[in-house]
Amino acid sequence: MLKYIAKRLLIMAVTLWVIVTLTFILMISIPGSPLNSERNTNEVVQANLEAHYNLDEPYYVQYMLYIKSIVTFDFGPSIKQPNQTVNDLLGRGFPISFELGIITIIVALISGITLGILAALRHNGIIDYLAISLAVLGISIPNFVLATLLIQKLAVDWNILPPATWSSPAHMVLPVIALATGPMAIIARLTRSTMLEVLTQDYIKMARAKGLSPWKIVLKHALRNALMPVVTIMGTLLAGILTGTFVIEKIFAIPGMGRYFVESINQRDYPVIMGTTVFYSAFLIFMLFLVDIVYGILDPRIKLHKKGGA
Amino acid sequence: MKKKLLVFLMAAMAIFVLAACTANEDAGTETNEEEENTGEEENTASGEKVLYMNNGTEPTSFDPAVGFDAVSWNPLNNLMEGLTRLGEDDTPQAAIAEDWDLSDDGTVYTFHIREDANWSNGDPVVAEDFVFAWERLLNPETGSAAAFLGYFIEGGEAYNSGEGSAEDLGIEAVDEKTFEVTLAEPTGYFLHVISNPAFFPVNAAVAEENSEWFAEADSFVSNGPFTLESWEHDSEMVFVKNEEYWDADTVKLDKVHWAMVNDTNTEYQMFEAGELDVTELPSEMAEQLIDEENVVIKDQAGLYFYRFNVTEEPFQNAKIRKAFALAVNQQDIVEYVTKNGEEAATAFVSPGFESPSGNDFRDENGDLVEYNPEEAKQLLEEGMEEEGYDELPEVTLSYSTSDAHKAIAETMQSAFSENLGIDVVLENTEASVFLDDQKALNHQLSRSSFIFDYGDPVNFLESFITDSSMNRTGWSNEEYNELIANAKSESDEEQRWEYMYEAERLLAEEMPIFPIHYYNQVHMYSDPVSGIVRHPVGYVELKWADKSE
Repeated sequence: MLKYIAKRLLIMAVTLWVIVTLTFILMISIPGSPLNSERNTNEVVQANLEAHYNLDEPYYVQYMLYIKSIVTFDFGPSIKQPNQTVNDLLGRGFPISFELGIITIIVALISGITLGILAALRHNGIIDYLAISLAVLGISIPNFVLATLLIQKLAVDWNILPPATWSSPAHMVLPVIALATGPMAIIARLTRSTMLEVLTQDYIKMARAKGLSPWKIVLKHALRNALMPVVTIMGTLLAGILTGTFVIEKIFAIPGMGRYFVESINQRDYPVIMGTTVFYSAFLIFMLFLVDIVYGILDPRIKLHKKGGA
Repeated sequence: MKKKLLVFLMAAMAIFVLAACTANEDAGTETNEEEENTGEEENTASGEKVLYMNNGTEPTSFDPAVGFDAVSWNPLNNLMEGLTRLGEDDTPQAAIAEDWDLSDDGTVYTFHIREDANWSNGDPVVAEDFVFAWERLLNPETGSAAAFLGYFIEGGEAYNSGEGSAEDLGIEAVDEKTFEVTLAEPTGYFLHVISNPAFFPVNAAVAEENSEWFAEADSFVSNGPFTLESWEHDSEMVFVKNEEYWDADTVKLDKVHWAMVNDTNTEYQMFEAGELDVTELPSEMAEQLIDEENVVIKDQAGLYFYRFNVTEEPFQNAKIRKAFALAVNQQDIVEYVTKNGEEAATAFVSPGFESPSGNDFRDENGDLVEYNPEEAKQLLEEGMEEEGYDELPEVTLSYSTSDAHKAIAETMQSAFSENLGIDVVLENTEASVFLDDQKALNHQLSRSSFIFDYGDPVNFLESFITDSSMNRTGWSNEEYNELIANAKSESDEEQRWEYMYEAERLLAEEMPIFPIHYYNQVHMYSDPVSGIVRHPVGYVELKWADKSE
């Protein structure tokens, strides 16, 4: 197991290096510069600014500086917000995105799995149809449409909840619903279909024959196997949601880190582009790694160390 | 194995719970703050006046020399104050300077700073604070994008371009409360220029101690109507009335709360839910909301226009350029496409600039570019004959990616097709790429806009002299260059305006660019709010704002 983990860590480092290098190449090859403004500043000022951000160095030097900044995890100042460092921006935005993300994931998991189980147990019954309709709706309504709708109805028309910003638990309700509905629907569908499959297995029949209560069968015997596909999608889902979502954060004016992924590229804010990319990639790679480990524990048939050792 | 699984699940649960706990701890502190806020709102009922504004995003910087954009300067304009401030009538009024003398040749201003002008930390505002701030603005090391505004000052351009030195700048602290400025040329609108936030003073003592004094609320010292009480980056700012401000009696609001909501739909919904006092109109709803009673439309000096590239066929020919310009019906565009109450532009300089004789520049110089499909067709034929074209070379119309620009571009495309029988190709690129291409003259016909930096028509007109980085048309005209040079140095105001009128007419004759619409500012205010002033050129003023119970 340890050997496997060591090997995985090495591969993760290499993957990260490839991502960083590709990002750097793409970043410098898109036209436009972070210092390009509507009105040109004079040449001396321009040269001073370029020197300040090391943009006057040859590309290989800039590349080495980026690698250095990644190793030391110090990305320097943002070019567009000169009084803020990239670490400031990430340090401020990530905890908020993470908070929103964790709550969303928990809500999506609990409601999705419950819905999936209920649908599977009442296969072709009313609950099944309701759950599936809900799931189809959840998948097909984009979250930004749902978000606007929720604000309009619950905040503006009925005045039950605050429309936007991030300052109290009440402010969290709408964004969490908007963000959790999609993943909930996916989880519900996955749970339902694998659950249906698992329930026809011999060992479940065996359990029934032993006279175990239906709930015990479901929760203790069927659910563990039914959750495998859910675990599979959890890696990407976690990384995606925990590092912030551009659209939902923008609509609800949540000061998370989602917007930096988009805005830094529009503004060619090189240090922020590198900072967010490295952060997201490292997070994603680590989540996928965790998922693999969880597989091994949930399903003894998957032997990690052997696969790794071979 | 079962045990292992159990241990793992327990561990996973523990991690989740801990994570949720840390998250909840944050939430807890925020909740407390929220409770405090609610407390304040209750105070509002007992007489405290709090205005709820939206700044859109985090200000780029509150460093007066660096934050050269509306999101920085709109709030900063209410925290600080320069020698002059634009009044409710949009003209410069005495502010930190009580009064001033102007030398007979019009180049030396002597400003007398108010005895009771103080910083929020109690220090007096002195002439040295202005010397410090203005030197910093022009120092090439500062890298200020607004430095060009200081080129009116003697030695300003030389210092900023690394040729001169700070000692040669025409600014001097004669004594503690007397500040003398020597200009490169007589500049009739200099008092308007220095109302701009780039010219705000900086408390030299504070800045020498902490060069990042403007980055956080704790270290921020102001000299304007409000002080910065708190600043939660990316989320909100709270301003409180500045009791040290010389004109504190005029300021009626106790607090201004600034949200940072970067989505117009959300902003409008928050306004509807009573969480904001001011909102812009979401573009999809502009048409249905614009006639509402609480909507205020103000001019914003500036122009939405298109540039020809005169170095590329077929736009080397002035008649062909004019043909394209006259084929577009600007009135249709504002009425059926933008629908935001803008005024269709029939010339280049936007309305609102008052001449020495008291007339509006626009009324004086009249309509110069009027929709006329017949004349357009005629001009196209003549132009094609001059160039020996049987068929017009293909024309590509470029704009930076945005739904609003696209809608206008498509309208123009159909106008060219209908009125000239020419099918132009539309092309859009991402904004930064677009700007690069436009500067490099890679376009044929491309979208542009201009917003005035200071209150004189020459600000816009001088963009089109040869070698200006704002020209981007390849157009170069000796006569025009001379007119602009005169308009910048003539001390007789009447004559100076004559030069500008003539320059604008020449622009219409040669048509290196053509106008679409002037800009405006459309805002919806909640009922209790009054007295928010927005200038055609300048930044929002809350000094006179009030909120009734």
